Amino acid sequence: MQKIFNLACGSFYALGAYVGVSAVSWYTSAGGPAALFVLPLALAGLAVGAIGFVVERGLLRFVYDRDEAFQLLLTFAVVLMMEDAIRLTWGTSPQSTSALYLTYGQVRVLGATAPVYNLIVIAASLVIALLIGGLLTRTTFGRIIRAAADNREMVEALGVDLRRVYARVFTLGTALGTLGGALVIPATAAMSEMGIELIVEAFAVVVIGGLGSMRGAFVGALVVGVLRAIAISVYPELEMLLIYFIVIAVLVLRPRGLFGGAAA
Amino acid sequence: MITTRRYFVKLVGGAAVAAGAGLDAGPTRAQAAPVKLGVLAIRAGIAAPVGTAGLRGTEWWLERVNKAGGILGRPVQLVVEEESNPKDTVERYRKLVLQDKVEAVLGGISTGVTLALGPVAEDLGTPWLSWDGTTQKGVDETMPSPKWAFKSVDNEVEAIVAGILTPKYFKGIKTVAGIGNDYSYGHDCWESYQAVLKRYIPDVKFVLELFPKLGVTDFTAHIAAIQQAKPDLLMCSFWSGDATILMKQAAAVGLFKTMKGVFTTAGGVHDSLKKEFTPEGLLLGYNTMYFDDPNGSALLRQFVREYKAKYNEYPPYECDHAYFNAESYRAAVEKAAGGGTTWPSRAAVVKALEGIEVESLSGRRSWREDHVQMCNFYQGLTTHKNPYDFVTLSPLEVVSTRTAMKPAGAKLFDWINSWKI
Repeated sequence: MQKIFNLACGSFYALGAYVGVSAVSWYTSAGGPAALFVLPLALAGLAVGAIGFVVERGLLRFVYDRDEAFQLLLTFAVVLMMEDAIRLTWGTSPQSTSALYLTYGQVRVLGATAPVYNLIVIAASLVIALLIGGLLTRTTFGRIIRAAADNREMVEALGVDLRRVYARVFTLGTALGTLGGALVIPATAAMSEMGIELIVEAFAVVVIGGLGSMRGAFVGALVVGVLRAIAISVYPELEMLLIYFIVIAVLVLRPRGLFGGAAA
Repeated sequence: MITTRRYFVKLVGGAAVAAGAGLDAGPTRAQAAPVKLGVLAIRAGIAAPVGTAGLRGTEWWLERVNKAGGILGRPVQLVVEEESNPKDTVERYRKLVLQDKVEAVLGGISTGVTLALGPVAEDLGTPWLSWDGTTQKGVDETMPSPKWAFKSVDNEVEAIVAGILTPKYFKGIKTVAGIGNDYSYGHDCWESYQAVLKRYIPDVKFVLELFPKLGVTDFTAHIAAIQQAKPDLLMCSFWSGDATILMKQAAAVGLFKTMKGVFTTAGGVHDSLKKEFTPEGLLLGYNTMYFDDPNGSALLRQFVREYKAKYNEYPPYECDHAYFNAESYRAAVEKAAGGGTTWPSRAAVVKALEGIEVESLSGRRSWREDHVQMCNFYQGLTTHKNPYDFVTLSPLEVVSTRTAMKPAGAKLFDWINSWKI
């Protein structure tokens, strides 16, 4: 909506991961029951999303009317600064939540063993996707967002204070990023470069799905995730190549992506 | 470059010792001037924990040496620079030698970087002792007879040691899958491990090889592929945080309930391999130093104790690569001085380094005549029977580079195929 290609989304994801680790280790050392560790994890992930407000009001609002290259440079600068800030705060060693990942055990699904925590994360992402879908289609705020994405001038002419809408939308987006980072962390470990890794993959997802389309992002993420998993099982050398073949095919055959609307 | 408060204090301290030595004045003023050693350490990114360990090992050595009066009466100062990409690191190397005028440079971990440093060291005519980097392209040596460059053990030695120990501990292995990082080290380890294992188990089948790129943090799909391939054993050469992540994600689906596991190099992140998700009975490589060695020397015990007290961690192997580099340099300078107090020429120091053997943290270590580090590798089966919250080794196997590293000038696979088994 804001017509900004935000490279720093990966950094928010990394930040959420680190804050999630800290919150959980604080929770564990305070004697909280292991089975409920998801709560402090998710809350910390959501809370640190407030940094989105600071970045939007403090930096991005100055560049909405500037050249796209300038916006890219600015958000890339945020990426580098956040990476260093993370190193300064948490050090350079990978941080993890130890064995909490295994707290919920495993289940057999369709003949395969799956960690229950993974299923919780999948369920959580579906719920979040539905909530966002509902927000966009069924609330006044959602209608304003969609209208502003189509035509900012008209929305402003109708008396909507776009500055407030921008700040809220960006903060919401950031909170989703930080929450995602926090939720993924029990299964892996937080590393300061994890943000950059994510940006590359997220880029493939939005190109395939279509810039600015929620449904596109959902389908794009599924396509990328499932294809990678299949490639690794069938022909591991193709893992990354396959994704970029599809990115190229989409760019050539359907430049707006699978679900991209008319002229944005 | 004064980068940290600690370094600044050290610098001032060094200068004070230097001034003191000057006043006590046995040797001349020039003699008592501090001797500067350059250090290249990775302090950012995925290999930062390894670089940090090397730097800590060097600092521990520095403290001891300066307390004992320095080298030939001269206090030692470190000038620390960053190891990053090859181009920038070469620039910093030149700066250390040409601008800071260091007597020698210690450090270098990534072979991508040290491959570029080798020729520069030769060109500038200053001794360079590499912690963990080689001048190998793949498994082939590119600098068979260097004058100034001293290199780490060959990259693939831990995979060879694991290949030798696999048939000893795991009987009846018929199928093997491999996972490693998608760069030279990962591929070379896998090739070498396969070559060695084939010598011991000629009909072994290698059913799957996976090479995720460095920095990947989700191995769910890789683990699913491994489960599908149903190997008797999984070989993994991860050496960083990814080893811990793979272990955790494997535990979440009970991977090692159905197969054996070999982690050639995960001992580099040993204290993150918690008992909750690291099973007993995996073959685990600790590289060239094992902090819990029951036969460890008094020096090792003291180092582990002080390291734990200072950093609240147990030291990984890189500490000893670094300690040995510095300590062998000190010994070589004293040997080249021949009992006198005159500082020897750089050429005399490198001559003295060749073949020198010193007491290092993990035991005796030496430089082979072609400037390659000789030491022991520590591997064994993981156990939960220890006072820590992470796995250690029992039984422990100690394999010398004399057994597991190709001799000077040999071609790796010809050498492996020439073994009498």
